[in-house]
Amino acid sequence: MSDYVSPVGQGIPRLETRDKITGKAVYADDMSRPDMLFGVIVPSPHAHARIAGYDVSAALALDGVVAVVTGEDIGDHKIGPFIKDETALAVGKVRYMGEPVAAVAAVDLETAKQAARLIDIAYEELPAVFDTDAAMAEDAPVLHENSGDYIKVFEADSDGNAMAIIEIVEGDVASAWENCAAIVEGSYETQAQCHSYMEPCSALAEIDSNGKITIWSSNQSVFHVQAFTADALGIPMSKVRCVTPQVGGAFGGKMEQTVQPAAAALARATGRPVKVTLTREQDFEMIRARHPGKVWMKTGAAADGTLLAREVRIVLDAGAYADDSPGVAGIAALFCRGPYRIENVSIESRPIYTNKLRSGAFRGFGGPQVAIAGETQIDEIADRLGLDPIDVRLKNAVRPGEEWMIGVALNKAGLSECLNRVRAASGWDEKRKAAPNGSGRRRGIGVACIPHISGVLTSGAIVRILEDGTAVLNTGAVDNGQGSDTVLVQICAAALGLDVDRVSVATPDTDGSPYNWGTTASRVTYMAGRAVVAASEDAVNQLKQRAAIMMECAEEDLELRDGGRIGIKGVPEAEVGFRDISGFSHWVAGGPVIGTNSLAYDGPDFDPKRGFLRGFPFGKIGAWIFAAQAVEVELDEATGRITPLKIWSAHDIGKAINPTAVEGQIQGGIVQGLGYALCEEMVWDSGRLANPSFMDYKIPGIADVPPQIETILVEDPDEDGPFGAKGIGEPPIVGIAPAISNAVAHAAGIRLRRLPMTPERVLRTLKE
Amino acid sequence: MEFHGPSTVEEAVSLLASDEEARCLAGGATLVAMMNADLVMPSALVSLRHIEELRGIFTDSGGGLRVGAMTTHREVAEADGLAGAHALLSDTARAIGHPAIRNMGTVGGSIGHGDPQADYPGALAALDAAVEVRGPDGTRPVAAEDFFVDYLETALLPGELIAAVTLPPPPAGAFGAYEKFARVEGDYATVSVAAVVAMEDGRCSYARVALGSCGPTPVRAEAAEDRLTGSALDDADIAEAAAILREECDPVDDVRGSGEYRMMLVEPLLGRALRAAAAKGGAR
Ligand SMILES: Cc1cc2nc3c(=O)[nH]c(=O)nc-3n(C[C@H](O)[C@H](O)[C@H](O)COP(=O)(O)OP(=O)(O)OC[C@H]3O[C@@H](n4cnc5c(N)ncnc54)[C@H](O)[C@@H]3O)c2cc1C
Repeated sequence: MSDYVSPVGQGIPRLETRDKITGKAVYADDMSRPDMLFGVIVPSPHAHARIAGYDVSAALALDGVVAVVTGEDIGDHKIGPFIKDETALAVGKVRYMGEPVAAVAAVDLETAKQAARLIDIAYEELPAVFDTDAAMAEDAPVLHENSGDYIKVFEADSDGNAMAIIEIVEGDVASAWENCAAIVEGSYETQAQCHSYMEPCSALAEIDSNGKITIWSSNQSVFHVQAFTADALGIPMSKVRCVTPQVGGAFGGKMEQTVQPAAAALARATGRPVKVTLTREQDFEMIRARHPGKVWMKTGAAADGTLLAREVRIVLDAGAYADDSPGVAGIAALFCRGPYRIENVSIESRPIYTNKLRSGAFRGFGGPQVAIAGETQIDEIADRLGLDPIDVRLKNAVRPGEEWMIGVALNKAGLSECLNRVRAASGWDEKRKAAPNGSGRRRGIGVACIPHISGVLTSGAIVRILEDGTAVLNTGAVDNGQGSDTVLVQICAAALGLDVDRVSVATPDTDGSPYNWGTTASRVTYMAGRAVVAASEDAVNQLKQRAAIMMECAEEDLELRDGGRIGIKGVPEAEVGFRDISGFSHWVAGGPVIGTNSLAYDGPDFDPKRGFLRGFPFGKIGAWIFAAQAVEVELDEATGRITPLKIWSAHDIGKAINPTAVEGQIQGGIVQGLGYALCEEMVWDSGRLANPSFMDYKIPGIADVPPQIETILVEDPDEDGPFGAKGIGEPPIVGIAPAISNAVAHAAGIRLRRLPMTPERVLRTLKE
Repeated sequence: MEFHGPSTVEEAVSLLASDEEARCLAGGATLVAMMNADLVMPSALVSLRHIEELRGIFTDSGGGLRVGAMTTHREVAEADGLAGAHALLSDTARAIGHPAIRNMGTVGGSIGHGDPQADYPGALAALDAAVEVRGPDGTRPVAAEDFFVDYLETALLPGELIAAVTLPPPPAGAFGAYEKFARVEGDYATVSVAAVVAMEDGRCSYARVALGSCGPTPVRAEAAEDRLTGSALDDADIAEAAAILREECDPVDDVRGSGEYRMMLVEPLLGRALRAAAAKGGAR
């Protein structure tokens, strides 16, 4: 009857693609406002110092300079998502080199840059600590002397520079070791990774006569921008409106404050619009990175490969401010057991303050730091017991209906299917059997499994039916380039029975959008998607209610029909289109149709009877997603270079709303994972970042990526997810490093425990 | 800052000679990036773009090659029909950066910057090239080995510019190979080896080798070349030649690798370059 095809499951191109490839897309730095000034931020030249005084007179005297603001002007208004421990511009002390200390606004960028150099700040240097061992030493200088006074949004013990101590204990590890036929133990070190989003941080702020500040910025949540800017300036949230133009990537790096508070402070000081855009170098030095990690882990198994116990001590280098560190440390603790049934676990995780750039959210969120330890230990156990690494994983893989630690029920878990699919697609059994070829260039294949979540915190959606029966969707969820606008429109259109081009998507705007916690935690498709389905259903119910008046029948007798119609069940010819219903509701009776939904993640709770949990900074968390990845590598024994030859990546995603976008997420995550595994590393020389440019900090280019990445979508619909969907954003990055490490062990019998696995480190390990 | 676009070398030279702070602008890939990073602030830029005689690749009647300073990496990479070992220049150009960089960057800019991590310097040293320098006092040829003086320092005097690089006729029966080892595709070399080799009856009859990124200038060692000449390029020959070359190396520790690692790479990369060059002769 109708040739309508549901948009769900269609790999349609992203809505904004044409604008992006033709250069029409507008990013924050492309914007200009009448009378706009240019802002430049002055970074701290010291890693740890007391601020003894400011002299801004020379800067202010420069022609074209309109205002200078310092921490003294803004005041000691502390911000932070978990621990309120920092200010938009340093107050009293600086704690890392590159920390924003002052900001200047001038009529053009050149003048602002020149003025920034003229701002004279007197410092008294303090002893500094640059790694977690030094920071945890008995007599280490303490970065935050008054940390006891800080506001924390969660409960955890702290200890000197350890801002939080997170513990998870289940079963009895100590007595479990006795029953193990194989025990492996090791220390693992991971590096700081730069988010390397294409668009450096940028914000444009303007103030109206009532003191209300509007901020256009590159971010992952307009609501976070609103909250931290209001906090930072000490003004009510009703005085801050946040909007998002296109975003050129974020990966966690734009989850919390970047330059928005400084731009807002300058707008307030000057009364004029001010744009602040960082250079790449400043972005490297000022914003945030992935936590360097030091993980000690011990795992034991019975002779048949059943995993019996795991003990883990995680230390994350948080840098100078807490930012998302408690969250990352908590998730690292929650994920480090790996996606396996292990009855006895004892886990401790500590984020530590050091005098370096803050560490924060980054795709994987604590997962990558522990995966290299956990997933290589599974292989070592398999090796000891003479078992196949995939067999050991299958034996222990969590299954539907089981529980995660602390009694969190898993309703769905597609891990075994992911492993089986990767095994078949990669020719695993053949390749594992193949005797490693002689010296020179050796080949090997390795695997790794990944657990993650996609349900956490809150989202909302508003679906309005326009006068002509088309719709506009508003979720407040920022599309960072991963394609969430497209996917949410597909979900909305499918729930309304419309085509995608009949649904418009609203730009996130704190004045008009419903709250969305953030584009983070692989959660937008699942969380915002659920809100979109429910808001669309609400709109459909309202349409039915209006249609019932029009057709003089009972609402219960009505059904939604494809193509935007409501009809009487069993009477094909009795129907009205959305256009007529909407006209009626706008001009006659019922009122405009506005479907809404508001949602907090409502999955199963922790069960305190199951184990001991302390310091964990999230409430309910779930909608678990699983993955298995295999990588085949070639190892050049003469130079130590590892070349990935082919990658297979299977993901338990529930349902692919847009298979092309899902594959894009998987491929992109894998490339970022290759960088993390093989070449990306931020290096500090004492407090100074030694490689703050893409000349010195190297991400993989197209020629470094294997020509074949095979993505495998395992679709077993989640009963709560929108059309059965779960998340995909983060898992693809996580398994690459351990799978490569395992492949190298297969090829050459060496164990690499430090990332990145640069040719130099590999060659040294080979020669040991 | 002033900007000049002269159309003759003489004009360019007189502009450079009249202002010590003036700089030649070739492709701008390096210079403009350095200006953006506030590392250099020239008082004037003398663009060489409109000087016709600085462009192009020419073979003279005797078999020598002249590559104009403003010839882009891409033009060199795509030059076909370069005789024997001269083709090493194309192999080297293909190894530089990314397509965008190869479209912008020039031979003159690459060697004028004097960066020992760049790709051309080693290749030019292995090819016995000379740099044709033009200045207020006319033209002077400088052997490639003498041209690179120190880290980011060349033999150019104030007012001088690079007009071309010239190669003598290719050594009979010799072929070149360029081995570049970098962290990722398109990065500067951690270590590079340029080799020119001729083989006769399974024995090496001619060898020139230069290392890049192993010291402040390209590294050559005649003793190493002597050690290889007459040998069958066996593992032991290569190991000994590498040991001699390592004596001449003075590599730095940086984000591309430690000096020690660079030393570890010399032998395997030398072997690969020599054998690749020798194989080209065999294939003929
Ligand atoms: C991202 C990136 C990657 C790169 N990767 C590589 C690589 O892998 N290998 C490699 O070898 N290089 C690499 N380069 C450098 C590249 O080859 C540059 O183009 C080259 O070094 C400079 O050439 P240019 O023509 O752009 O010179 P410019 O940038 O215009 O000039 C560079 C310097 O040379 C001087 N100069 C230019 N022409 C002359 C002349 N005729 N006489 C005297 N002085 C002159 C200028 O005054 C300036 O000091 C890379 C550059 C970039 C930006």
